[in-house]
Amino acid sequence: MQTGTKISALAHVTLVAWAFLGGAFRSDPLPFEVQEVSVISAEEFAALSAPREAPEIIPQPVEPEQPTAPIEQPAPVEPAPEPEPEPVRPEPQPVARPEPEPAPQPVEPTPEPQVPSEAPSLERPEPETVLLPEPPGKRPKPRPVERVAPEPVAAPPPDARPDPVETPPVSAEQGAETPQPEQPATAPEEATDRIEPEADPTTEVAPSRSPRPKTRPQQPTQTAETKPAATPEAKPAAKPEANPAPASQAAETRSAVNDALAEALAATEEPAAAPAPTGPPLTSGEKDALRVAVSQCWNVGSLSSEALRTTVVVSVRMNADGTPDTGSIRMIESSGGSSGAAKQAYEAARRAIIRCGAKGYKLPSEKYDHWRDIEMTFNPERMRIK
Amino acid sequence: MMRFLTSLVLGAALLAGAAQAQNQPLRITIDEGIIEPLPYAAPNFVPDSPAAAEYAAEIARVLADDLTGSGLFREIPSTAYISQVTSFDAPVQFADWKAINAQALITGAVSVSGNRLTVRFRLWDVFAGAELGSGLQFAGTTDGWRRMAHKVADAVYSRITGEGGYFDSRVAFVSESGPKDQRRKRLAIMDYDGANVQYLTDSSSIVLAPRFSPSGDRVLYTSYQGGFPRIHILDVGQVQQRVLQSQDGTMSFAPRFSPDGQTVLFSLAQGGNTDLYAMNIASGQSTRLTSAPSIETAPSYSPDGSRIVFESDRSGTPQLYVMSASGGEATRISFGQGRYGTPVWSPRGDLIAFTKQSKGRFHIGVMRTDGSEERLLTASFLDEGPTWSPNGRVIMFTRETQGASGRAALYSVDISGRNLRPVRTPDGGSDPSWSPLQK
Repeated sequence: MQTGTKISALAHVTLVAWAFLGGAFRSDPLPFEVQEVSVISAEEFAALSAPREAPEIIPQPVEPEQPTAPIEQPAPVEPAPEPEPEPVRPEPQPVARPEPEPAPQPVEPTPEPQVPSEAPSLERPEPETVLLPEPPGKRPKPRPVERVAPEPVAAPPPDARPDPVETPPVSAEQGAETPQPEQPATAPEEATDRIEPEADPTTEVAPSRSPRPKTRPQQPTQTAETKPAATPEAKPAAKPEANPAPASQAAETRSAVNDALAEALAATEEPAAAPAPTGPPLTSGEKDALRVAVSQCWNVGSLSSEALRTTVVVSVRMNADGTPDTGSIRMIESSGGSSGAAKQAYEAARRAIIRCGAKGYKLPSEKYDHWRDIEMTFNPERMRIK
Repeated sequence: MMRFLTSLVLGAALLAGAAQAQNQPLRITIDEGIIEPLPYAAPNFVPDSPAAAEYAAEIARVLADDLTGSGLFREIPSTAYISQVTSFDAPVQFADWKAINAQALITGAVSVSGNRLTVRFRLWDVFAGAELGSGLQFAGTTDGWRRMAHKVADAVYSRITGEGGYFDSRVAFVSESGPKDQRRKRLAIMDYDGANVQYLTDSSSIVLAPRFSPSGDRVLYTSYQGGFPRIHILDVGQVQQRVLQSQDGTMSFAPRFSPDGQTVLFSLAQGGNTDLYAMNIASGQSTRLTSAPSIETAPSYSPDGSRIVFESDRSGTPQLYVMSASGGEATRISFGQGRYGTPVWSPRGDLIAFTKQSKGRFHIGVMRTDGSEERLLTASFLDEGPTWSPNGRVIMFTRETQGASGRAALYSVDISGRNLRPVRTPDGGSDPSWSPLQK
């Protein structure tokens, strides 16, 4: 019995053990299958994604109607937009190419000075604005020291710190220890004044943008150097701005920048010849002098009563010597009378401009850019009943 | 990325705006000028023969008188000329004319062939260095040389001022001669400048208030021939007159043509009351326009014939009223101090000229048709009877001086109140009526 039970127990144990172990052995082949599925799925997803795009394209064009293969390729409309961006890319390229072309011809030397001139101008304002906050940043450290500083013991350590910041006071500090209380006295004033700019770094963004307008006047000045024609002026102007943009941006942004600049410059091409903003505008006194000079020759005595009710605006381009360019005088607009009356009023105005400008109007030559083009409004309202 | 692109585009747009603002022209407004005659040069027209030389000089003189007399132009004396015009087709030396400040230059040529006279001219804007308009030529008989000179002057005036001229026109008036208590009055007609006076009536009866027809071929006037004032119509070309139809025992006076020349407005005094009537000239049929117990007189049509301005004392003193041409309710337009009379509608339709008596003095004035913007142009012991030039720019009127030796004379004044000047007449003159421009 005992042996029998032992044998049976062993047999049961072995059977149970075999049952466990045997199941484990059988599980090995299963994971292999699972692994295969997972590997296949990644490739199939890519494959599946491609056929999914195809059916999307299919419904738009009617494939069954056009069974021929060559039509299928043009049929997908989506590829068509792809070529569209491609022409967009070539557009910036030609735009970029003309840029270098005009650049080397007239202005290559000039654009180079442009870039350094802009760069320093941009860098200078930045360090300036940065320097202002920085010293207060270092000085707040002395502040806690200042609180301690009123005590005589803490005085020596602040001596060492101000040295790097303000060298001139350092030389005086070496002389005697007594000036020490004076130093902390001046320090808090300056510290308090500069503590406020510390919060300004957020506002520092504004001054950092301000230098950009400074670069604009530099461009016209450069164009002023290359006065010859308006079109060369416009193109070099596009380069300096386009260059910084692509420097930090992708090539795609160039197209947008160039397009925008092209529009902007196209709008300014007509008056582009006038590099106006080089100096201060005419003072009211200088304008009055011109007004008086013209009015002295504006004779309305021979005008019809209808012409005396007609206001005309006349444009004139001035020569640098103050004389009007007779051929440039033209009537821009008129109001209050018939075309015939406007013609008489315009002729009287033209006579006034030419006659009193024969020897040149007294205008400040350094502000020529401001009075090169003048629009004069001749309003005879006050002359009517006299 | 999109935000960056939009910022770039916006920046570029701002740059464009800034550049545009920087390139804007200097703008000034001139509202003060000068009012002075425009200096011009009119060298003698180039004659093509010795016979034409005399006409050339005379035409240049009349031309200068016309332009200078308008008050809008000032002739530069020939002694100041730097260069002379020896050929009509030669290029103009503008610098020489600029140097003497001639703003307009008139060059011309005169040719005579038998009894036929031809005048050509060009007008130049000296400072613009260009011709104003294009060359023009007039042809006629040698007898009409004055009219051709006036035609040239009208063309010059029109091209520079922008409004029609008035030089080639005539004036009907009452010529007065003799002492004040034995004044002889004759109906006369002359060029606007006092030349070529013709007398249409003798001095056997008193004549008053001649009025030209719109076409300039007939004259209405009031004559005391027969004892009572009656309206006569006279054909200028044939010097034939007739009495307009009238009732016995009435007085008709103050006639004036309608713009179409078919109707005559006049005052009719009957039974101590004076009212306005309109009469069709062809049929002689009259229509009563007013029926007030007051005195209505001195009617004048608006240029379009739709309204009538007249004088009435219905408010107690003579004032000006406007009503429809068919009669009806009248609107008073004069409200100033004094008495208003003899209103005349401007040929341009924008103004009404009148005589005003205030504080013992007489004035010629103008106001807008609604009575606003009244302006008095003259002041004297006695100014009255305004009449408009064909272009509505000049007013001619009668000025009589004070005293027993007082004399009536014709004067003209610009509607701006400037350029008051006497009109040359052989004798005294009164009651002028300006004709339209001759054709």
